[in-house]
Amino acid sequence: MPFSSNTLFQNYFSEFKNYDEVLKSNMTINPNWEKLLNNLTQFSNKNLIAKQEEIDWLMDENGVTYNVYNDPKGMNRSWNLNIVPFLIHQKEWEAIEKGIIQRAELLNLVLKDIYGKRELIKNGIVPQEVIFAHRGFLRQCDQIQYKTAKNLLIHSADLARGPDGRMWVVNDRTQAPSGMGYALENRFSLSKTMPNIFQGINVKDLSNFFFHFNKMLIESAPQNKDNPNIVVLTPGPLNETYFEHAYMASFLGYPLVTGNDLVVRSGKLWMKTLKELKQVDVVLRRVDDVFMDPLELREDSYLGVAGLLDVIREQRVAIINPIGSGILENSGLIPFMNAICQYFFNEDLILPQIASWWCGQEKECTYVLDNLKDLVVKRIDRSNRENIFFCEFLDSNELKALRDEILLTPYQFVAQEKISFSTAPDFVNGNLEPRKVVCRTFSIATKDTYTAMPGGLVRVAPERENLFVSNQRGGVSKDFWIITDEFQPNIQKYSWDNTCKISISHINDLPSNMAENLYWSGRYLSRSLNTARYLRMVLNRMNSEQFQNKKTDSENLVFLLKSVTTITSTFPGFVGKGSEEVLKNPLKEIISLITDETRLGSFAQTMFSFNNSYYTLRSLWSRDMWRVFDSIKKLWNKFKENSNYSIPELVKFLDRIVTRLIAFMGLIEESILVNQGLLIYFIGLQAEQAMMNIAKSRSLLVFNFDEAKQYEILESFLLSNESLNIYRYSYRSHLSIENVINLLILDKEYAKSLTYQINRIKKDIDRLPLPTNTMGVSKCQQKIAEASLLIQNLNSDMLLQLDEHEAIRQNLDHVLRDLSNLLHEASIELSDMYFNHSYQQKQLVNQNFPLS
Amino acid sequence: MKYKVSHTTSYRYEVGVTFCHNIATIKPKNMLGQTVLSYNLNVTPSPTEISERLDFFGNTVTRFSIQKHHSVLTVTANSIIEKDSSLQPNIYNSPGGQNITLQESLLALQNINSELLDIRQFILESILVAGITPEIKAYAEVSFKPNRSVFEAAHELMQRIYTDFEFNTKVTNVATPIKEVFEKKKGVCQDFAQIAIACVRSVGLPARYVSGYIETLPPPGKEKLVGTDASHAWFSVYIPEFGWVDFDPTNNQIPKNQHIVIAYGRDYYDVPPLKGVIYSTGMNKMKVAVDIRPADE
Repeated sequence: MPFSSNTLFQNYFSEFKNYDEVLKSNMTINPNWEKLLNNLTQFSNKNLIAKQEEIDWLMDENGVTYNVYNDPKGMNRSWNLNIVPFLIHQKEWEAIEKGIIQRAELLNLVLKDIYGKRELIKNGIVPQEVIFAHRGFLRQCDQIQYKTAKNLLIHSADLARGPDGRMWVVNDRTQAPSGMGYALENRFSLSKTMPNIFQGINVKDLSNFFFHFNKMLIESAPQNKDNPNIVVLTPGPLNETYFEHAYMASFLGYPLVTGNDLVVRSGKLWMKTLKELKQVDVVLRRVDDVFMDPLELREDSYLGVAGLLDVIREQRVAIINPIGSGILENSGLIPFMNAICQYFFNEDLILPQIASWWCGQEKECTYVLDNLKDLVVKRIDRSNRENIFFCEFLDSNELKALRDEILLTPYQFVAQEKISFSTAPDFVNGNLEPRKVVCRTFSIATKDTYTAMPGGLVRVAPERENLFVSNQRGGVSKDFWIITDEFQPNIQKYSWDNTCKISISHINDLPSNMAENLYWSGRYLSRSLNTARYLRMVLNRMNSEQFQNKKTDSENLVFLLKSVTTITSTFPGFVGKGSEEVLKNPLKEIISLITDETRLGSFAQTMFSFNNSYYTLRSLWSRDMWRVFDSIKKLWNKFKENSNYSIPELVKFLDRIVTRLIAFMGLIEESILVNQGLLIYFIGLQAEQAMMNIAKSRSLLVFNFDEAKQYEILESFLLSNESLNIYRYSYRSHLSIENVINLLILDKEYAKSLTYQINRIKKDIDRLPLPTNTMGVSKCQQKIAEASLLIQNLNSDMLLQLDEHEAIRQNLDHVLRDLSNLLHEASIELSDMYFNHSYQQKQLVNQNFPLS
Repeated sequence: MKYKVSHTTSYRYEVGVTFCHNIATIKPKNMLGQTVLSYNLNVTPSPTEISERLDFFGNTVTRFSIQKHHSVLTVTANSIIEKDSSLQPNIYNSPGGQNITLQESLLALQNINSELLDIRQFILESILVAGITPEIKAYAEVSFKPNRSVFEAAHELMQRIYTDFEFNTKVTNVATPIKEVFEKKKGVCQDFAQIAIACVRSVGLPARYVSGYIETLPPPGKEKLVGTDASHAWFSVYIPEFGWVDFDPTNNQIPKNQHIVIAYGRDYYDVPPLKGVIYSTGMNKMKVAVDIRPADE
């Protein structure tokens, strides 16, 4: 055998004996895997390691992430894909497919019955407590009728191969199953990195499934059948699978919204857009049942929409899956599933399940308590890892506590046989290792049947001997192949940013929450860039001062340092109380302004805010954008490992950050359409540029200095703005305050002049849709028009006038102050008009019930 | 006995509300011994939408939304109710109901028929009556014994709660867990009702929460003040062979004509008189006034 000698399989079974997908204990190979293993052996071991690294890198670069709650490294953790896929032959898959479709059909009928006639209970097929004591049984959803042919529109099941060689059902996922998007991205990444691994193997394509999926969404619409408005509802960027929500929204071409983007009025569901409220027909939700309506369900939820259930009752919106389908995520049903199948279909379940005992029955409860040590115990309505008791690992005290708990409310518990599932080879540290795997399958309702995804998401146990597979912990995944003997078309044809349709057709339809994040992204990005450049300029000055210890320099430096505090609003700093001490060691304060994330106005804090608002725009990103974004983060993390910074190091760091920020700004402009919200981003960007420009001018141009000093200040200003070259080109003269004012404040063409910036903002604001109820000109338009008029009537003579002590240019200061106020007011009016803060939901009486 | 009931809830909002969605469970039940002769619900400002439906437990819930800016919300339910508790089955006339023991009751409850199925859901834990502790169970078992009459035990439980618990409006709120109420032995009518329900369920019997009103009488010789009556709550135990029997642990009595029933639920969570989601940023102040007086014939 070629493989027994292959280094890949060295020590494969050394310490661990188990049923394996590929290698039998007598070292014979499962013939279905032969081609794949052959393809793998074409790579040298070193090459395989490199390929695994490449995939890790690709996942990282493309921002395929998985957030883990309560984990310091949790945010945006990289999704792990192992280079060795998992496969099943079409012949076996056909039987499995039948099984999962049968199960989907069955659970659909169970769901209809539970919230309908409850005949399963009345006829004694399912004990009442299995349903009524489950927290997922939402009495508010009782007797709701749906227009769709099926109630359960998406069904997901976790399968694993049992000791008898068959695939067993471990779990059902019915509320808002995750994994479809990851499965698609896994296939895409693997085929991009290792096309050779597919050689000579016919792998079933996934794209047809997504075509059906999209069709299912469209056909679910209770009205507007021709052109339904479909949205993807996400709990937000902190959710562990946020990447996937954005990915699916982008892939399918529907807006990604949060609860605050939606509102119920006049018996319908609406999405708040820039222009108006737009009726929503279908919601593909990734929010769990109880969070969907704070009026009737969990009252502390801000993830859903108040009043939604009533819109559903009136059949004016379709929620996929329907609210209440969490009742099917119920291990209490398992012991009764076969009887249910007999009841509805008069046949047996095709896919076996783990032997389970519901403690609500006296005989079963006695059995469980007598054999507790050998069983796995769960609550019927909690399937997360924290609520599963692997009794073999419990000590006698823990066992007693569990026993007492079961006795108090036996109907809440189910015990299951402990099963050892099969392993499959996983590429770990240059070798193949057997790891437990669980396959998540997906089926969706299509007309009068279900269609299953040919494949799915395979997750791998993180440790060699781990019993439990979960991606809550950010485990490893595999591409899941269904292989056939028939030729399959090319599988590399989709990528999420190439196939995505434009999700928003007109700026009028831009969800207001997304608009707000775009606006703030623009503002924070501009502030980051300006702050970085200004700090860099000051650091350069500090550096040169060390060489030429002239007095004027020192005075100038103090002046510049003070301006840092004013421009970044980081008082007291170099200005307020205690500033004399701070000025003795200015570097310390500058480092704090660069690195301290907790300090309002610091570079770090601005970047952090930018990060947050930008991350929520995930669905708009291109791959290049992610890559640059990620490189900024990596640069940042590496920089923070340091603790002792020299001035040149800091300058070098800021240089690199500045380059990347500018690359990023360029990418935004080319990757996002004006109608997708680029306009709003520009308004934010320019507003911040203008405000920073004003802040710098007020700090540096208002005071009157002697010529030498003036020269250096002007030079610093131009340097911090990267405008020195332009100045030299335009004026070819000695630096004069008059020319600087002309260039940076009054010039109509230069992109960094205040006049240009204000006119640009005005032009963009005028292009925004007027909300339906607004008549004539909005307040925001008025404010910016006022600013534009003010700056157009300025001339440099007037601005240059000195006060009676010849100390300051009062006119300049006043004009800048007025412009700053107008920009501020315009920004507030813009927020009020478009971002809908008046729509924040809140409980009338604050009560916090433990609904789930 | 005829009563005129008026129940007003008002909210004053600090910064105003752009719009709101609300649910009221406030309409008295029409049932044997209690007839609703007239009922109307007044909401100001007037709601854009208002609709009525029956909830899972058969109570009438009213859902409304107000879509214009307002700073005060007033919800007034006015009704005229005719009470005649003599029409209801009386446990004292049912030797079977009075004598059935706990053991016999538990056996009787095991039958599967659709009426019992409805009743058996009230044995299970519910949102606010969850996490019943061994201490609460022990407290229940002082009264409930396998061979003792369930009615007698429930009656005694009501008396014990009346004696052991102090009525105090400052200690608890709607979300205080039963465990904490039980430890402090203080609370209001809804806490007492829920403690009693926890006790009854801990021994395996169905118990439900009753939301309603009680007529309070002025001290002798004094005129009755308007708005001194209150929303009230008590509990009800299912006794096989007879049916549901109400007990009021706050007043240590079996409700008769002075008690008006609005809704049944598993606990307070199922039947709050008024709840809602407002779209606003500020705080609000709530005021409730209930007035019950004999209606002029």
